[in-house]
Amino acid sequence: MLKIENLQAGYGKVQVLHGVTIHVPKGKIVTLIGSNGAGKTTTMRAVSGMIKPTSGQITLSDQDITGLDSHQIARRGLAHSPEGRRVFPTLSVVDNIRLGAFVRYTNARPKGDVEGDVDKALEMFPRLKERTHQLAGTLSGGEQQMLAMARAVMLNPEVILLDEPSMGLAPILVEEVFNIISRLKAQGVTMLLVEQFAAAALKVADYGYVLENGHISVHGPAEKLKDDPAVKAAYLGG
Amino acid sequence: MKINSKSFLLMVVGLVALGLYPVLVPNPYYIHLVETILIYAILLFGLDIVVGYTGQVSLGHAGLFGVGSYTAGALFFKLGVPFLLAVPAAIGVTAVFGAVLALPALRVTGPYLAMVTLAFGTIIQILINEMTFLTEGPIGIKVHKPIFFGHKLTEVEYFYVVAVLMVLALVVVHRILKSHLGRAFEALRDSPVACDCMGVSVYRYKVYAFVISAALAGLAGSLYAYSEEYISPNTYNFELTIMFLLAVIMGGRKTRSGALIGAVIVVMLPSLLSDIELFRKIATVLAVAVSGMAVYNFIRKVKTVRELAVPVLATMAMAGFSFRLENITDWRLTIFGLMTLFVVYYLQDGVVGFARELFARFAKPAAHASGKTPSIKVRAWTAPHKAAPVSAGPLLDAQQVLMQFGGLRALNQVDLSIARGSIHGLIGPNGSGKSTMMNVLTGIYQPTAGQVVFNGQSLAGQTPSHIALSGIARTFQNVQLFGEMTATDNVLVGLHHTFKSNTLDVMLRTPRYLREDAAAREQAASLLDFVGLTNLSEEQARNLPYGKQRMLEIARALGLGPRLLLLDEPAAGLPPADLPELTKMIQKIRDHGITVILIEHHMDVVMGISDTVSVLDFGQKIAEGKPADVQSNPAVVEAYLGSGEGAH
Amino acid sequence: MEIFLQLIYSGIALGMIYGVIAFGYQLTFATSGTLNFGQGESLMLGALVGLSLVGTIHGGPYLNYWVMIPVVVIFGAAQGAFVEWIGVRPAIKIKSEFGWIMSTIALAIIFKNVAENIWGKDDLKFPSPLPEAPIKFLGANVLPMEIVVVIGALAMMAMVELFNRKSIYGKAVVATSNDRDAASLMGINTGAVITFSYALSSVTAAVAGVLVAPLTLTGATMGSVLGLKAFAVAIIGGLTSGVGVIVGGLILGIAETTTGYYISTGYKDVPGLVLLLLVLAVKPAGLFGKMAIKKV
Repeated sequence: MLKIENLQAGYGKVQVLHGVTIHVPKGKIVTLIGSNGAGKTTTMRAVSGMIKPTSGQITLSDQDITGLDSHQIARRGLAHSPEGRRVFPTLSVVDNIRLGAFVRYTNARPKGDVEGDVDKALEMFPRLKERTHQLAGTLSGGEQQMLAMARAVMLNPEVILLDEPSMGLAPILVEEVFNIISRLKAQGVTMLLVEQFAAAALKVADYGYVLENGHISVHGPAEKLKDDPAVKAAYLGG
Repeated sequence: MKINSKSFLLMVVGLVALGLYPVLVPNPYYIHLVETILIYAILLFGLDIVVGYTGQVSLGHAGLFGVGSYTAGALFFKLGVPFLLAVPAAIGVTAVFGAVLALPALRVTGPYLAMVTLAFGTIIQILINEMTFLTEGPIGIKVHKPIFFGHKLTEVEYFYVVAVLMVLALVVVHRILKSHLGRAFEALRDSPVACDCMGVSVYRYKVYAFVISAALAGLAGSLYAYSEEYISPNTYNFELTIMFLLAVIMGGRKTRSGALIGAVIVVMLPSLLSDIELFRKIATVLAVAVSGMAVYNFIRKVKTVRELAVPVLATMAMAGFSFRLENITDWRLTIFGLMTLFVVYYLQDGVVGFARELFARFAKPAAHASGKTPSIKVRAWTAPHKAAPVSAGPLLDAQQVLMQFGGLRALNQVDLSIARGSIHGLIGPNGSGKSTMMNVLTGIYQPTAGQVVFNGQSLAGQTPSHIALSGIARTFQNVQLFGEMTATDNVLVGLHHTFKSNTLDVMLRTPRYLREDAAAREQAASLLDFVGLTNLSEEQARNLPYGKQRMLEIARALGLGPRLLLLDEPAAGLPPADLPELTKMIQKIRDHGITVILIEHHMDVVMGISDTVSVLDFGQKIAEGKPADVQSNPAVVEAYLGSGEGAH
Repeated sequence: MEIFLQLIYSGIALGMIYGVIAFGYQLTFATSGTLNFGQGESLMLGALVGLSLVGTIHGGPYLNYWVMIPVVVIFGAAQGAFVEWIGVRPAIKIKSEFGWIMSTIALAIIFKNVAENIWGKDDLKFPSPLPEAPIKFLGANVLPMEIVVVIGALAMMAMVELFNRKSIYGKAVVATSNDRDAASLMGINTGAVITFSYALSSVTAAVAGVLVAPLTLTGATMGSVLGLKAFAVAIIGGLTSGVGVIVGGLILGIAETTTGYYISTGYKDVPGLVLLLLVLAVKPAGLFGKMAIKKV
């Protein structure tokens, strides 16, 4: 479904990714883990068009999306819930959710029943339903994370990129977030999950890649990776 | 003053040409024309400091010019004050106006500053028009040439007076810009944050730059009054301010010759535009030249059709249009506007910059890139001996620091104690508060609660530049070098605090200034040698490879002579081969008696050299101790890797 | 007392014009972090194009005043898009603040000069669509056109607000103002949004131009000082608050009409400019705005 081949990217003079290859098959959750500075968020940004890769190829459902602008990639069906959530603070919860379906309103993607999907999203995230008309900027970190995920789901995407959903969240909210990810998995959503917290990510994912200093150091089925000492070494050295 | 032979020759030729001009071209009209060019040039030297060096847009310099003219004019007309008093008075008064405007205005930047200066210029024009008791309002003031010892100067004699003053202004401005003041001006444009953290207060230097430019505008304005022998409010309008700006950017910023060229263009332009035949010829030549260049660039595939379409169509339209018009003076301002647009996007470095680029392309690459041996003998760097520490305890003691942004607690009552002479690592997952702590310690954020005590003194309420000067230096996660300045100049900004000389010392090149300059350069060379950048000392910082840029930041920070050095992710983005060099350098810095706080994600680096490691998570300190202990601490492992259950 | 009230009414009308221009600054600043230093010239061009359509200067009248307004709207949109395309887009691309400041100023100069050549340098009379006899309101005179100005200005700002709140496209514009990158991730073409905001900003200025033209003299120079003083209003209101520009506009408008009468007409432009300097000196975020926290 989503194929990232030999991706190289960076910021100005700094090259962060030195040839990263990741395959996300349809209906599976693949996780990309690694310590800070390894390049996980850079990978996400390169895929969704926020930065342009210097080399490599990215295909979505057999369409080449390398080097396109992010709004064009979104129209092809790639939803990215970015690092730091980045909900629209002066818009209400429900308007944020509606904007997730922007490409459907403009018929760039099949419209379907947008309002019906809005209701379904609010059902899935009861905390958000309680705050339907509240301004997104006043939500707590956990609620904003739910909102960002609801927004991504609304696009009816081929693939969801979920970037560090647990960042800055209290443990109990992290648990809630991962429960939702499990439910999305049960619904057959295809997802690339970037996480700093390897343990929780490997628990919910089907397959995992470990990123170290811009290279994939080890990858395999999530079950096997959980106990691999190479994972711990990637984070804490030694 | 280091002068290479090419510039020296140019200067001599220029001076001779200036001196001989009235002899060769005795026509008073042309003498007056060049006189106006010289007067404008004086103002432009000053405007270049503000626009070219500090990068601020000022739309009020016509107003300052007007203040200069009218101070001299009013003093002459109302009180009969002689030239030798009126001119200094004009300089002083305009400088004061400049300060009054700059002090509030320079707290804001960009479009706000442009608006404020525009408002200022408009107010000045209104005041000149309305305050008839002082300025005679729309009637204007008649001035005659100055009288020296009972002899009224002729046109030619006044020309020489103006020429001498212009050369003096040029020398003064040149000296200021080549000194630590000039470096401060450039630094504050390239990276205001880094500037403050190197002990150079951005605000203060922006004001200095503006006041100096106001003084020069005052000088120019007063000379203008005597030159024209009549001044009226109409002259000092928005159109004039645009012409000044156009001159600076068209001539080329950051060069004196650019200001002169700009002055020539702007003064000659109206006469050029009043001759329709000449204009038609020029427009046609321009259209042909631009089309030619466009075809050339298109064939070489340097630019797309889209990018080339605009200039080609525009120049052709202008040429075509010129043949339909009988009179171009009515369209003068449109031409100015088009020229401004053109310069802003296609000629950003002006005529001088364009010429330099041409020469660089055709001349052989200079030998300077291949390791020119510096003429200064390089001494090994030693940290300057500081006075004995004030207190015996930890060098830095952060107590119960709380940093709250709205509902978010970035730092939740953190205690951090840094022992003298140690390397102290600070680690934690993303969003744990490490960078926030960094910013609190350097004064970029004021903590919501708690206090930080450094060397026995509290840092509460101090500005970043003040904290830098008391002995805390830092590097930045995203390299904040002064890109357009050389490596040496970057380090010299770090050494800014060693200069006690003031503007007067700089203008007159007093022994004190020369001594300080030499000492600073020696120290800079030592620092560059210490970080291994001697061969690249004259390279522009932005052209250095990434790893070297990080080293340069460290050298610059050491220039402050700090007791405490904060390194913010120094290993980020470095290729693994460079890491041993980095760790060795950090240890050497510690061996020189400087305490180091190291924020880093790269575990091998941090654990390898730290004496103590503190771990932050969710804005709180969760562990502290020797590296090995911290690495195996289960709470730390969980903080980084998370636990399977998600419950702690 | 009657005169004072009359000055208040005129001040309100004038203030609403300032408010609308300032509103235009906010529109573009919100989505792109830039603004059009030639906003006053957009107003002037709207007024002059309107004059050509309803007046006799270019062989007209061709249209009735009210029918002319939609035509001016189309013209304003095109003019705004042009400014964005030529002046602002290249500057945003090279991340040069100096670039868009200088180029919008340059375009303003060009527009003014072109206007001088097409419509002449003299000020002209704009035929008023309403009777010019003043009406008595609460004991003082108010011109019918002044009431139209206030209604028109408020209506325009209300329409934009409604658009922002009700339409998905309006929400896309707000999203772009909040966070350009995140908006892009939603599939929103933020470049088109910026062009749209410039077009809209010029439309509001152009319509303000035809609203105010019957009340004052219309000419190539009418825009510059208006645009500059509207900065003061935009700053007072804070570049992010809609209510702020209305309040700021009213303050300035009334201050000006009263200064012009009680002190001297020559000094009437001074309060606005001094206000601008004071507000920037004391509270650059404006009376209603919020300061952003700097992150390093």
